[in-house]
Amino acid sequence: MQHDDVKSNVLTTTLESAINWGRKNSLWPMPFGTACCGIEFMAALAARTDISRFGAEAIRFSPRQSDLLIVAGRISIKMMPVLIRIYEQMPEPKWVISMGACASSGGVFDTYSVIQGIDRFIPVDVYIPGCPPRPEGVVDGLIKLQELVDKEKFSDYAPPATNS
Amino acid sequence: MSLADTLSQIKATFPETVFDVTEHAGEKIIHIQGLVVLDVLGEFQKSGFNFLADITAVDNMTLGGFERFAVVYHLLSQETAERVTVKAYVSEENLILPSVESLWKTADWQEREIYDLFGITFEGHPNLVRIMNPDDFEGHPLRKDYPRLGRKERDNFPIVERRIGRKAQRN
Ligand code: SF4
Repeated sequence: MQHDDVKSNVLTTTLESAINWGRKNSLWPMPFGTACCGIEFMAALAARTDISRFGAEAIRFSPRQSDLLIVAGRISIKMMPVLIRIYEQMPEPKWVISMGACASSGGVFDTYSVIQGIDRFIPVDVYIPGCPPRPEGVVDGLIKLQELVDKEKFSDYAPPATNS
Repeated sequence: MSLADTLSQIKATFPETVFDVTEHAGEKIIHIQGLVVLDVLGEFQKSGFNFLADITAVDNMTLGGFERFAVVYHLLSQETAERVTVKAYVSEENLILPSVESLWKTADWQEREIYDLFGITFEGHPNLVRIMNPDDFEGHPLRKDYPRLGRKERDNFPIVERRIGRKAQRN
């Protein structure tokens, strides 16, 4: 092989950035749409904003096949155990987007039955403000999350906790 | 049979248990004792009020009324397009009312809802369990003495940490 061939056909990178690049461009969302924001999330999937341009169109309704949990809508006290269970079922690495005022803070529903922000109980990576957020907002949140995924450091990953 | 005839007939049949008949916005409201609600609504059904539009309940704690709770039935006659409201009163000590599920199937879920939110029991209901709140929920949130922000139900969940120790400074 000649030297020029090597130069034009081989790319050197680190394993970390190659894997992060792959992950951020093929996020598989698991939508947890419980209210109006879920409808707006469907609009973000549709032709006008089309989040498949960012590699996130493979919507899985199975938590075991997805790595991005999008919580879209208010979470009631009856739904919170379900949400926690779904989060636990997702394989690592996984990310969470909290979409809309309700998922992020309870929104206007300051009542006994609505969780005042899912981040009180599960870790959230990106918050999308709005009631509901416009589809452009969802795309912006997705891009923000891609930047986060791109910055993941393998050295931050501690070995998994052992079950003893 | 017209509404006026039906009302006077019911007043004659259940003299002690009809508290009052009032009118609001052109529609008649009949106030009755809770225990006879099945018989009274049966009479209404026989005289043409064949559609149960809604059941709801009111906590009169701060409003005053014949009793603490009133279960409100909205009936519609599809022949004459007349409407009537039946308010059945139950006291706090004896929160029992006959179920009207045998007259209208639609009463099933609405009575479950009232049971869930007000704690009023419907005798003869086929499946009287909570319909909206979790099964292990305590209390009846639409009662006036239930705090609006609840009793910390919304704070009692396990906190899930990031699992594989990705640094938690991200939030
Ligand atoms: S934030 Fe607004 S649009 Fe979204 S679920 Fe709440 S009320 Fe609905």
